[in-house]
Formats: sequence, C-alpha cells, structure tokens
Amino acid sequence: MTDSHSSNNHSQRSSHEGSEGSSDSRLVEAHSQLAKNKEEPSEGFSSLPIVIVFLFCGFGFWAGVYLTRNAGGFSANTFDLDAPRLVADSGPKVFEADLAKGEKLFIQQCAACHQANGLGVPGAFPPLAGSPWPLGNDERIIKIVLAGLAGEIEVKGAKYVGNMPNIGAGLNDAQVANIVSYVRSAWGNNAEAVTDVKVKDIRKAIGGRGQYSPKEILDAHPLETK
Amino acid sequence: MSQAYSSRGSVSRIDASISVPVRLFIFSSLVWLLVASVLGVIVALKLQVPSFMGECPWFTYGRIETLQRNAFIYGWASNALFALNLWIMSSLARFELKSSWLPVLGGAVWNLTLTYGLVQVLLGQLNGFALLEMPKEVAPALVVAFVFAALWPAVAFARRPTGNVFVSQWYIIGATFVFPVITVVAQLMLLWCPTLGVMQALVHSWFYQNLILLWLGGSALSAVYYFIAKESGRTISAYYLATVGFWTYFLFASWTGPATLLGSPIPVWVQSVGVIASLMMLVPIVITAVNFFGTLAPRNGIAQSWNNTTLRFVLVGAVSFTLAALLNVVSSTRSLNALVRFTEFAQAQEHLTVYSFVSMVIFGAAYYILPRLTGAFWPSAKLVYLHFWSCAAGSLLLVVTGLTQGWAAHGRTDFAVSAAPGLLAAVLLLVGHFAFALNALGMLTAENAPSNRRAY
Repeated sequence: MTDSHSSNNHSQRSSHEGSEGSSDSRLVEAHSQLAKNKEEPSEGFSSLPIVIVFLFCGFGFWAGVYLTRNAGGFSANTFDLDAPRLVADSGPKVFEADLAKGEKLFIQQCAACHQANGLGVPGAFPPLAGSPWPLGNDERIIKIVLAGLAGEIEVKGAKYVGNMPNIGAGLNDAQVANIVSYVRSAWGNNAEAVTDVKVKDIRKAIGGRGQYSPKEILDAHPLETK
Repeated sequence: MSQAYSSRGSVSRIDASISVPVRLFIFSSLVWLLVASVLGVIVALKLQVPSFMGECPWFTYGRIETLQRNAFIYGWASNALFALNLWIMSSLARFELKSSWLPVLGGAVWNLTLTYGLVQVLLGQLNGFALLEMPKEVAPALVVAFVFAALWPAVAFARRPTGNVFVSQWYIIGATFVFPVITVVAQLMLLWCPTLGVMQALVHSWFYQNLILLWLGGSALSAVYYFIAKESGRTISAYYLATVGFWTYFLFASWTGPATLLGSPIPVWVQSVGVIASLMMLVPIVITAVNFFGTLAPRNGIAQSWNNTTLRFVLVGAVSFTLAALLNVVSSTRSLNALVRFTEFAQAQEHLTVYSFVSMVIFGAAYYILPRLTGAFWPSAKLVYLHFWSCAAGSLLLVVTGLTQGWAAHGRTDFAVSAAPGLLAAVLLLVGHFAFALNALGMLTAENAPSNRRAY
C-alpha cells in the first residue's frame, strides 16, 4: 500500500468508472449462471459438495440427539438439566388429595351405611360427621378402611355393634387417600388430608389381615377426643 | 493526482442519484465514530484509573460505557450500513433513486433521535437492557426513521430490471427487514408492556443476537460477498451453496440468543435449542468460508487482495467473521460456557464480531464507494496505511487480551483484569479512526465540480 500502488489502484478504478452499472450486470449474470449449472460433473467437479452434505447431515443428527437428551422433557418448569434426577432422588412427586373424587367414591362405597350426610343411622351405623374416630391420627381411619372393623364401639355416647367390611382392599392407594381425605374434611370435620404414600405404607405394614377388633385398633391408636 | 482525475472523473447516474443520502449517512457515521472512539478512550481510562472524572455524575462508568456502545452500534455502524446497503443494492439492481429527500429525512430523524436518546442516557435516564438503554419514547422514532432511511434497498430490489439476483442482495433484504421487526417486538415486550420475569431476559437475548448477527452481520456479509466478487474479478467459487448459507444463517443466528443465557432460570429446553442453533451456525460458517477463501485463495489471490485497499479490509473482516462464529460455537457448549461466562471472554467475542468483522468491512467498502460517489481520490495514502494498521493492531490487541484474560479469570475470585492493553487498544483505534475520518471528510468536502456537473 505504497503511494505508487495506491495511484495504480486508482487508475484501475477510473477505467471502470464509465461501465460501473454494466459490470455489475455481468457479475449478477455470471453468478446466476453458476447457480443454475450446479450439478455438472465437469472438469471443475470436486468432492466438496458430498463432503459438505455429509458434514451437515452429521451436524443435524448431533443436534437431534443433543436436543432429546438435554431438553428436560420440554417441560416449562425444568430449569436445570440435573433437575429430573434431583426430583427422582427426593422421592415420588407430591400427592394432592382430590376431594371431589373422594366425595364421589364415598357416595359409591360408604354412603349406603354412613349416609351421604355422614350422620349414619342411629342404632345401626355410626356417624362420621363430628365423630372422633376419623379425625386426629390418620392411621386409625386408614387401617379401618383398608381392613374393616367388627365389634361393639361407642361413638358420641351411643353404642353400635358394627361389621364394617375391608372396603379399601378393592381400591387403590390414591382412591383410599381421596375418600379418607374427604371424610376428614366434610360436614364440619377439620383434619388434614392424607397422601397415597401413607396409604401405601400402611397397606404394606398390615398385610392381608382380617377385620380389626375395637380393642385392637384403640390400643394402637387411642381416640384423641371423646 | 486529483487534477489528473478531475479531467476524466465521472460519477455514474446511479451513484449521482443516491449521492446525497449516502453522503449524509457516511458523514453522520464518521461523526459518531469519532464520538464513540473518544468515549472508548475515556471508558478504558476509567477502567485503568477509576477516579478519573469520578466527581462528575455524567461520566460514571455505566453511563459513559452505555453511551459509547450505543453511539458505536446505532451511530457509526448503522449509519454506515444504511449507506452501504443503499449503494450496493442500487448498483446491483441498477436503481436510480428519484426522491432522495426521503432517506435524507430518515437519516436526519435517526441521528436527531439518537442524539436525544444519548443525551438522556448521559443525564441518567437508562433502561437496564443492553442496546435498549435509551428512554422508551426513542424507540418508535428510531423505527420510523429506519423505515425512511433504510427501506430503499428493498424498493430497489423490487424494481430490479432482471430476474437474476446476486447473493449480496438477499443479505441486504434480510437485514433490512430484521431490524424493524426485532426492535418493535423487543421494545413492546421489554419497555412498553413488559413481560414477566425471565421472559424479559429471553426476549432481550433474542433481540441482542439478532441485532448483532443479522442486522450488522447480515449487512456486512452482503458487502463481503460483493467486494470479493467485484474487486477480485472472480466468480464466487461455490456459489450454488450461497443460498443454503444465506437461509441457514438467518434461521440459526436468530435462535442463538438463549445460548447466551446458559445456566439461567429459563426452561432448559430453550437453552438447549440455543446451543443447537449455535452449533448449526457451523453450516453457514463453512459455506461462507468456502466461498470467501475458496474464491480468493487460488492463483495467488490472497496476496493480490492484500495489495488492494478495499480487499485488505474486507479480508480481515471475513477472517474475523469466521473466527468469531467458530468461537461462538465453541463457547456455546455447556461445559465451556460455564468457564468463560461473565468474563472478558464474551466481550472479546462481541468485539471480534462488531469491530474486527463489521467495522473493518465497512472501512473497506468506504474505500471503494467514496471515490465513485464523489469523483475524487482519497487524499492521502499514508493515512489509509495508518488507518489500517492502527485499527488492525488495536482490535487484535483488544480481542487477544480479552480472550486470554477471560480464560485466565475463570473460576477465580481474586483475578484482577489488567486494563492497560485495553487503554492502548482504544488509543490505537482512536488514531486509526481519525486517519480514516480525515481522509473521508477530505473527499466529502473538497470534491466539487465533477460530480455536480455529471448529475445534470
């Protein structure tokens, strides 16, 4: 880029000046020809296109593999690649009792005796509304629902001789949890919901046993209130 | 020299028709370039001597650095690209601009709005989004000004006489439509009716990458294709690949935003898509590299290009583009990104794109366009020489020290970045830009008779 070169450069330029537009037309024209005659295996043919095609396919393949492995299940709530593993380590996902399902199941499975209003039938079937039995420690009611209860019990000052079958044996853990949670929250009852994990653990602990006797269940889980 | 020229100096009718707006754009870009260069020295000085002008709230680092970056991107690079895109497109599409007052109006509004916005920044009215720091009322005016100033390449393209299209034209059209879209969407979603939480970061990264890679980068790539074919007199070597290169560039570059947010609380699949888009950028990188260097390399073409003022700058730009894009691929991998994130490394990468690639290409193009536009010579070959070497050395220094210091800093809390190389680089760039501006202003003002005579 000396002085002599730069003036040389300029003289070349001025020779182009007059035909500025037409030389651009030639440039456009020549490249359009190139774009059309692309696959002629003539003397200028090189292996470049094939190599490039394979290379690009390789990139595309890698991209697909990468995305499936690193997308976190395309969840809008996964913010960290390690998140699914962390969640798996911390146990199953949190269960939330569905009270609407619980009510429906209660009507089907329990309301024939305990009635839809939870008051039972005086002298025959004990009430659940306001009864201390389903409230307090949730293991008592879960065990009764799973295995049943036979014998004489006292509820709110009245005596009942009952024979409750093992309703829960025919239901899954979530269904039992929904029913129990419903009973514990309906008709003015106010005890916290139970989880399917709790039901699962208790079902596993008591095994395939027969009905509880009132003494057995009350020894394990005495009533918190009268 | 100039006497000899003026006797046969001539300006084509096409160049004469766009002369006024192109001059306005180039003149404005020169002013902003000098402003940004001086601010760049102040910024570098404040890193070295933090107490420098520390008493004055106007010159706090946050404001002055913001000012510098906005002046450089919106003032220098955008104005210059308005000129470049208009000139290249008019030349390729044989377009004579009838109503040149419209782009002049657009350019005036653009520069006045920018001045207003930057004064507001100086007074402390900043938003927290990089390159969207100016007050929100600035944005709509900028978009309107852009439409008036920069839409003419699209008009020229629509009215081209033949059906044949050269690759540069695609890039100009793409870049021209990207800017208003990303600006409007980003302004709406960030400033006027802000989206919630991390969505803002996501929108901003999308805006930022599109602005840098597609508006600045796309326009500059158009110039690289044009001047390589034009000045070497050769046809682009693997031209049939240029279509693929163009589409993949615009497709993948616009998705690279989330890769700059790796490790942040945005859904992990969005981050992964960003990583993939960054890797798939290898497709356009390979194609442009094959086209640029495959065209110039045979028959001693690199040496010839080195002796041609325009091609020397463009060559540096093309090499920088390839390097910057490759670095971006590498640093977008999760493991490596975790090391260089938040260090000087990322800034050096951006510098490689915005300065060593885009700005060097603009310089090269200006050395080609201005003589044809004004019918005059570059006043001093020595200043051209000074311009090239100070800018090349300054940007090389910035990039190399940024990359090495960024790498050395990873995982350490006690690492002190040395600001001295940055200061030296800023001074070198300032010297180079003054040399360029002297030369260019000489042409813009001193020339007179030939072009005016030819215009009628």
